[in-house]
Amino acid sequence: MIEIRNLTKSYPSKLGPQYIFKNLNFTFPTERNVAILGKNGAGKSTLFRLLAKSEYPDRGQILTNRAMSWPVALQTGIHPHMTGRENTRFIGRINNVRSLKNYEHRVQKFAELEKKFDLPVRNYSSGMRAKLVFACCMNIDFDIYLIDEATSVGDPLFRKKAKETLKEKSKTSGVIMVSHELDQVREYCSSVVLIEDGKLTYYEDLEEGISVYTNQPKKEKGK
Amino acid sequence: MLSFSDQLAAWRRVIFALLLRELQSKFNDKLGLGWAFFEPFLFIFALSFARSFISGSEVHSMPILIFMMVGMVAIQSFMASLGAVAGSIKKNKPLYAFRQVQPIAAFVTSLFLECAIKLGAISLLSLTIYLLQIDVQFENPLLLISLYALMWTFLGSVGLLFGIITSYVPEINKIKNLFTRPMFFISCVFFSLQDVPEKYWPYLNWNPMVHFIELSRYALYPSYGHNGVSIEYAASITILILFFSLALYHHTWKRVLSR
Repeated sequence: MIEIRNLTKSYPSKLGPQYIFKNLNFTFPTERNVAILGKNGAGKSTLFRLLAKSEYPDRGQILTNRAMSWPVALQTGIHPHMTGRENTRFIGRINNVRSLKNYEHRVQKFAELEKKFDLPVRNYSSGMRAKLVFACCMNIDFDIYLIDEATSVGDPLFRKKAKETLKEKSKTSGVIMVSHELDQVREYCSSVVLIEDGKLTYYEDLEEGISVYTNQPKKEKGK
Repeated sequence: MLSFSDQLAAWRRVIFALLLRELQSKFNDKLGLGWAFFEPFLFIFALSFARSFISGSEVHSMPILIFMMVGMVAIQSFMASLGAVAGSIKKNKPLYAFRQVQPIAAFVTSLFLECAIKLGAISLLSLTIYLLQIDVQFENPLLLISLYALMWTFLGSVGLLFGIITSYVPEINKIKNLFTRPMFFISCVFFSLQDVPEKYWPYLNWNPMVHFIELSRYALYPSYGHNGVSIEYAASITILILFFSLALYHHTWKRVLSR
């Protein structure tokens, strides 16, 4: 359960502060995987970063007792001049992983990087980077994983693996995801938080949320 | 609630991770970590040596080589604090996605690294002096060490202040050179405060760097004298700026994250 209390968030700009959320009060469950949907600039990523405490609101609080991952986007925390292994160890250290060696090993295996694990990340393709970041996150135990379109770049095989892992994880922990690709949302999530004009709405039914989001009548199940 | 020692351990972990990251990413070329110490050493030594070669052997009873070295180390440290240390807050921005990493951690890491690099350069300089069998007096090491620590506290505070201000007003970076270049000439690096007529002293000794540099020379050679400078002034300015920079940081760090 995540409770947002009286939250205000704005960004400074030439035209004065741009309010993303104003006095927002909202509660949504995290037991099921949640997708955050909204138009460009609606504040998906902002909400996401606020949840992860990568940024802090101007006023108000976000209350939760669950351990959140960092927002897993394409490049977070990866230094292009360091090797995959060094990057992994950095992330492990920051997150206080108990056995770095063990962690390193699991990430290497999961990301399917093999020998390239010891090459600088700048030599990786974007898909490989995404795999590395995703693997780094998945091998640390969090209650909630925050994933920002990171899974969309991998090849189908990796996506399948990611999906299985997330499914496995969802027994014990939840996923909050930002994505524009509805296929992906359907793959991973089972409920929706829709952001519209700084207001949040929770839809327990995934298809209902998507249909509101796309302005189309709800599709029948089992098409 | 986390206990104090847990928090301390968490901070240590983050700063250690950042330090390793900095070392791995900055010095993974063929020149390696050694270059970090060698470059400032070479620069300082070459410049000091050239100066002592050109303009005789002594200023105010102090060998000019040592005289120059003290000034150069201090001014190089000043440049580092306004450059790398102040820049660290912005440079590590992508890492603030991890909530464990806060701007101050990046700042402390960078400060520690720069301070250590300068210490390394100082060791190399001392080694060279020893090997070349240059006669050097070392009268008051305690004063010298405390001056070094005080100077880095001062530089750290200035760096933090600049780092925060630059994240609000990025233009500062462009005009920064305008401020830092003159520091080379008004900090008594190339000349001594004694060489300047006393009526002009107020134009120079508002600058804490003058105090740090002149007092360090005095700590090595007491006969050099310490007219016009005092450690009280340097210390009080340091405390003042330290307070202001920490207050500013405390007040703004959450907003610095979203800039």
